[in-house]
Amino acid sequence: MSDAHAAAGPHLAGSAHAAFRLLGQDVTGRGKEYSQDSHLAFLAAGGRAAVLTVADGHGAAAHFRSDLGARWAAEEFAACARRFVAGALSGEEPPGWPVRREMARDLPRRLVHGWRLRVARHEASSPAHGRAGEAPAFDAYGSTLLGVVLTRELLVCWQLGDGDITLVWNEGPPEAPLYAGQDLGDETESLCQPEAWLRARMHWRPLTGKGPPPAVLLSTDGLSKSFEDHDGFLGFARGVRDRVESEGRAQVQDKLAGWLGHAATHSGDDTTLVGAIPVPLERTTERPE
Amino acid sequence: MSDIPGGPMASRPLHFIWLLDCSGSMGINGKITQLNYAIREAIPEMRKAADDNPGAELLVRAVTFSSGASWHLAAPTAIQDFTWEDVYAHSTTDLGAALRLTSEALKTPPMPGRALRPVLALVSDGLPTDDWRSGLRDIDATPWGKRAVRVAIGIGEDADREMLKEFLANPEQEPLRVKNPKQLVAAIRWASTVAVATASTPAVEGDKQLATPMDRTPTITAGASDDDVW
Repeated sequence: MSDAHAAAGPHLAGSAHAAFRLLGQDVTGRGKEYSQDSHLAFLAAGGRAAVLTVADGHGAAAHFRSDLGARWAAEEFAACARRFVAGALSGEEPPGWPVRREMARDLPRRLVHGWRLRVARHEASSPAHGRAGEAPAFDAYGSTLLGVVLTRELLVCWQLGDGDITLVWNEGPPEAPLYAGQDLGDETESLCQPEAWLRARMHWRPLTGKGPPPAVLLSTDGLSKSFEDHDGFLGFARGVRDRVESEGRAQVQDKLAGWLGHAATHSGDDTTLVGAIPVPLERTTERPE
Repeated sequence: MSDIPGGPMASRPLHFIWLLDCSGSMGINGKITQLNYAIREAIPEMRKAADDNPGAELLVRAVTFSSGASWHLAAPTAIQDFTWEDVYAHSTTDLGAALRLTSEALKTPPMPGRALRPVLALVSDGLPTDDWRSGLRDIDATPWGKRAVRVAIGIGEDADREMLKEFLANPEQEPLRVKNPKQLVAAIRWASTVAVATASTPAVEGDKQLATPMDRTPTITAGASDDDVW
């Protein structure tokens, strides 16, 4: 794995009656002191919903607190997703589809508001440029954000900035619902930009009748850019799902650090992946691996 | 690691293109000789910069301009294989021709979409003699040209500072001005290394590139042993 560092463990949380198995791994880029990526993957609504998020702090000199920005982005998304699950998907009488969709559309605005509030609070006590009383230096904390809420009936994906959300189906090639083509020269949109919620993209997909994709994977751009082409990356996504199927989640989780570490030697970037694999309906009452 | 699923992995190409003024005035007071020396001296530093950025495959090319423009080194050459063949001074300063030639290389294809931002490093000692602004517009019209990390070095008092600044397209960035061989070596070394590091880091959409790294511009002073000759 060269000199990349790997982190998983505390960022993943499961449940005894889970509808999904979770994957998560973060590898620090070669030669970097610490990772500027952040991720969370957990189950909500008593194990019926999976919440996944990945944030990629920009890392350049102008964004020297982006490790904090990425952590707060993931935490704020998690808080927003919990509220979304509680309000839109839980309870005895959840709201109808149009209301749920409006709640989903409103999530980026809440997320950006929460993120900017945390930055502003931090800036008030510890200004990035050492000058108290000035406007918060949001740029210093710049980060992207990917997020997913997945149940057996609904998939919602949000994306602000670069990175990849990949859906692997049993038939056909993996799908990248929010892929907007390659960002030339590593340009990305960011949480630190004014009215950043307007830059967020959302994919709304009720799964009635079809069921969830066999794998939903979120990864920072460092992973896809380590492959010679996008098809190579999509092949990786399918391979992860197939390996979970044939070898089990725990085996794949153990291998992720090595795989991502190898990718990081090509991209030079921090590299993070989280994923959710649906548990077959007949197994949802079994204990997870 | 052969058990990784998916297609082959590879480092991302980082194209570094020298645009070198080889007009007749570059032959005065040994400027062209010192330019050849400075680029040759910078090669180990460029190799080190490439080693420090393992995600980048540094590829070097060079365009020269005098009466017209041509590729001095046309093939993108891995820095590990890069050696410097001397350039020679003669005739006029057709920068516009060089920019137009370079703009063809910045289209996609031939530039791959997964490349890092290219670096354009312009070195000149005088006033362009052709329509350089139309050449610059051609560069800016390409997807990679407008994203390129740009550095500009003006040699001597006669270098066209306004032209160099317009080439940089960044109000926060100034061209480097050098007045003697030692300063030229320092500037070429800086352009070779800092620009590579900058091109390897991400940018938020709309950011002006090199605004921060310019803080690390070499301190170019004229001491008693560094008499200005240009």
